[in-house]
Amino acid sequence: MTITWLGGLLRRRTGRLLATAVGISMAVALIAALGSFLTASKATMTARALRSVAVDWQVQVQPGADPAAVMTAVAKAAGVKATEPVSMAQTTGLAATAGGATQTTGPGMVLSLTPTYRQRFPGEIRQLSGSPAGVLLAQQTAANLHVRPGDQVSIGRAGNAPAVVTIAGVVDLPQADSLFQKVGAPPQSQPSAPPDNVILLPEATFNTVMGQGASAANFALTTQIHVARDAPLSGDPAAAYESVIGAAHNLEAHLAGKAVVGNNLGAALEGARKDALYAQMLFLFLGLPGAVLAALLTAALASAGADRRRAEQALLRTRGLAPGKIARLAVVEALLIGTVGGLLGLGIGAAAGRLAFGPSPVGGSASSTFIWFAIAFVAGLVIATLTVLVPALRDLRTRTVAQARHAVGRPGTPLWMRSGVDFMLIAGALLVFWASGSNNYSLVLAPEGVATISVSYWAFLGPALLWLGAAMLLWRIANLALTHGRRPLARLIRPLTGRLAQIGASSMSRQRRPLARALVLLALAISFAASTATFNATYQQQAEADAQLTNGADVTVTESPGLRVGPAAAAGMASVPGVRHVEPVQHRFAYVGADLQDLYGVRPGSITGATSLQDAYFVGGTAKALMAKLAAQPDSILVSDETVKDFQLTPGDLINLRLQDSRTKELQTVPFHYAGIVKEFPTAPKDSFFVANADYITKATGSDAVGAFLVDTGGSNQARVATDLQQRLGAAAAITNVTQARSQVGSSLTSVNLAGLTRLELVFAVLLAASAGGIVLAVGLAERRRSLAILSVLGARRAQLRGLALSEGLLITVGGLAGGGLIAWGLSQMLVKVLTGVFDPPPSVIAVPWGYLTITVLAVVAALGMAAVVSARASTRPAVEELRDL
Amino acid sequence: MKPSENLVVCTDASRTFGSGRSAVVAVHGTTSDVCPGARIAIAGPSGSGKSTLLHLMAGLELPTCGQVTWPSFSTNAAERARDIGVVFQSPSLVPALDVAENTALPLVLAGVHEQESRDRVAEALELVGVSNLAGKLPEELSGGQAQRVAVARVLAQRPRLVLADEPTGQLDRATGQHLMDVLLAATARIGAALVVSTHDRAVAERLDTHWTMHEGRLRTAATKAVLS
Repeated sequence: MTITWLGGLLRRRTGRLLATAVGISMAVALIAALGSFLTASKATMTARALRSVAVDWQVQVQPGADPAAVMTAVAKAAGVKATEPVSMAQTTGLAATAGGATQTTGPGMVLSLTPTYRQRFPGEIRQLSGSPAGVLLAQQTAANLHVRPGDQVSIGRAGNAPAVVTIAGVVDLPQADSLFQKVGAPPQSQPSAPPDNVILLPEATFNTVMGQGASAANFALTTQIHVARDAPLSGDPAAAYESVIGAAHNLEAHLAGKAVVGNNLGAALEGARKDALYAQMLFLFLGLPGAVLAALLTAALASAGADRRRAEQALLRTRGLAPGKIARLAVVEALLIGTVGGLLGLGIGAAAGRLAFGPSPVGGSASSTFIWFAIAFVAGLVIATLTVLVPALRDLRTRTVAQARHAVGRPGTPLWMRSGVDFMLIAGALLVFWASGSNNYSLVLAPEGVATISVSYWAFLGPALLWLGAAMLLWRIANLALTHGRRPLARLIRPLTGRLAQIGASSMSRQRRPLARALVLLALAISFAASTATFNATYQQQAEADAQLTNGADVTVTESPGLRVGPAAAAGMASVPGVRHVEPVQHRFAYVGADLQDLYGVRPGSITGATSLQDAYFVGGTAKALMAKLAAQPDSILVSDETVKDFQLTPGDLINLRLQDSRTKELQTVPFHYAGIVKEFPTAPKDSFFVANADYITKATGSDAVGAFLVDTGGSNQARVATDLQQRLGAAAAITNVTQARSQVGSSLTSVNLAGLTRLELVFAVLLAASAGGIVLAVGLAERRRSLAILSVLGARRAQLRGLALSEGLLITVGGLAGGGLIAWGLSQMLVKVLTGVFDPPPSVIAVPWGYLTITVLAVVAALGMAAVVSARASTRPAVEELRDL
Repeated sequence: MKPSENLVVCTDASRTFGSGRSAVVAVHGTTSDVCPGARIAIAGPSGSGKSTLLHLMAGLELPTCGQVTWPSFSTNAAERARDIGVVFQSPSLVPALDVAENTALPLVLAGVHEQESRDRVAEALELVGVSNLAGKLPEELSGGQAQRVAVARVLAQRPRLVLADEPTGQLDRATGQHLMDVLLAATARIGAALVVSTHDRAVAERLDTHWTMHEGRLRTAATKAVLS
């Protein structure tokens, strides 16, 4: 019996079975592909976190302990690949004489380096000029002292005469924050700023200058053992973090108080595990709705055949088949659909994953892929059970044979509509959104130094409830419109249906339940596609903004410290092919009180010709307004939020900065007036800095020296323009382009192949939207083939039948697109707010991907139009044949 | 009767379903005609080809051999359908439309004025005794009621030829009898020819001309042609 039944299903209900299986396959494919992506992206994050660390551990030897003994112990610890001792001492200040003027600095730090240090830890020191062997000076210190390789610098030593050394090279310390961290500081303490002045001595020189001969106790001499590890770590950042923290604790316990571990690796992995949770949330926010949507689509397809299934069940019951046996047939049908859909979905998922992420996603292992594919397959079976089996069993249990044989009922008002569940859900969404707003939309809660992190899943409820609530509200509106709007509907469809307009409107009104369901399904798919695309576009926009912020512009030319280049040099750069605009930006250092900060001098009227300034970078006005203010009042200055708080500033307040006068080489006080807060600025660091009018700085300091030239290439050919500029300007100028910055900046989340995820999601979203419209309409019309056949027998022309089918398509298209667009707008706003933490910098406006949205709308319209035309064509085959078949 | 006055003329018409070994010939080279006012019963066992012959006469099926023509009707299929009313064996109402709308369907398609359409629908429903069901949906009707509505739809259409395919097949005897009363009275009133396929001898005996079908062949030898 079961085999016969199955054979009959396969032969006679092929279309319905296949459509339902395809619906399931979409959900399975989405879960399989996104799940594999999630695992792979976590592994990528871990790898990137590990790569970002120059020195894995900085083991600080405690006073009284023997550094050599500690180093031996550290070298023997498990997972340690290499060790190097680094001594640090304090200097009272550095001084240099150049061009007859003597420059001095405040206190600074003197480091000792072994000959092999830079080989073992190449990421810690970046050579800018001069020779890598010998005494090295940090870039900022070299600028302060106006020193070049070959010049002499005297190192102030407390209680001793200064020692004079010759500078061999100028270097950058990209990881100064971690290099000069306070090892063993309490987890909640503020990170200490790296010293303004740093000089690096070869080990032997250090021992001579700050060690044996001198009074070492006066220099607060400390020794660290820098460690490179090679212990294998898990691909999951959270597991890797726990492993690294455990190993560090183990070492500390082993050293029994002789040393404390500064765990740079742990700190990097801590950030990565936060990002991993964000990736997980992206999966939930963007992937899960897609799977839910595919399940809803499947349910709609399955329910489109429900009337016939009920009639078949009734027939079986009247022929004496026991309910248990009928249930068994339903189980077999669900299993068949679930298995076919699952296998199809796994195939699509594997193909889509390959297209989106390449043959083997970085870090993705076969076992993790297998696990996600298994989860996806089971999910497919669950969807089949819920959409095919459960309704069948429910009908079997609750409906009488007579009821079951009736095809179309008078639709009543569902309970959720009577009790206003849609309004409740929307109110709930707004409430949750408001509540998570009071928490600054912090989704990932990870107190520093605490091994466990958590996610505020509560905030997920906002968008989820809005999605559901808005869809249900749309259902209510569609239902109301179809119930009471027969006359306007008839007028609307008259051009398509002619004389059948009134009849068509009546029919659609009575078919309002399946029509409203199709319309809402399309709206859900459209809103999913549009909000996902908008989120992704905004993410890309902000990632680009982040890269632009870091690099400054498409291409940035940074002049060598000590080299004085004026803004006139911009003209020469502008003549390089591909360059659209060159903008000089001054870079100085200014003291506010005792605090040394970066000062950027800009030309307010033309700065945006080479780089973009988003409103979100500023507080107290838009980017345009604040640049206009700098132009109108040249002594205006933009300061960081932290400085405003530290100095209790209000707009218009006087700020006296001490800047070096190029004529006297002395620091002189220059008055500025506080005009607004700047949070981010191209090429500026993440911490405190100033932005002011370049002309005003030139007048006040007597120098128009430019720190960097921002070059706009129109967003293309950055690498080629950078190469051309390098050839023209020579090796002295450091030239970077935004494509390099893209791969270097931001959190490790940016490094994840979001482009693949985006492609995958957007393709699925279009498919879902087109399927939601096209397949549901086609299946619905197929269910009404008998009605169309009857009309044909009664003399309806082909054009009239096509008009009726197109009318339904038109109703679903217009309602679904309009409703979906509105839901998408609200959802995008909420998504971008709730996922604020993912964006760096936070967006001031969301990016709308019009191109993609147009493609989606065209795909939906095409799918619906095709479904309507094909259905109409099918309904005009010899009517009696149709009637006999049904 | 001149051939050009006939409503339907079948000339050596055959209808075969399928092909090759599985081909089934439902109607074998049938030659027959129906003239205005004729009341013909096509009797025969199930599967003898009665329904297929009716479908050929209605233009719902095309003959695989021979031809079927309608000398008095339009050559346009949609327009011809307005002159031929078909009552199917099983209910053939549009589920999403109520009884009045279902009955009005052929009139809407023919472009009959709204008021006239309403009058004709009311009259037809009255004639078959289901005026009280005008606002009901097909699913709310019994099998007999639905079949009477299908008849009302044909009557409202006022065709010149009514083809009824076992109209009482799914009804009890009393209801079937009543339905035949209605069909005969109504077709007489509008002057339409009536062809009824049936395997019920009682139904067949109420009609003037008897054709019989056996294994797809029409036997008209015993027929007493009655012209009105």
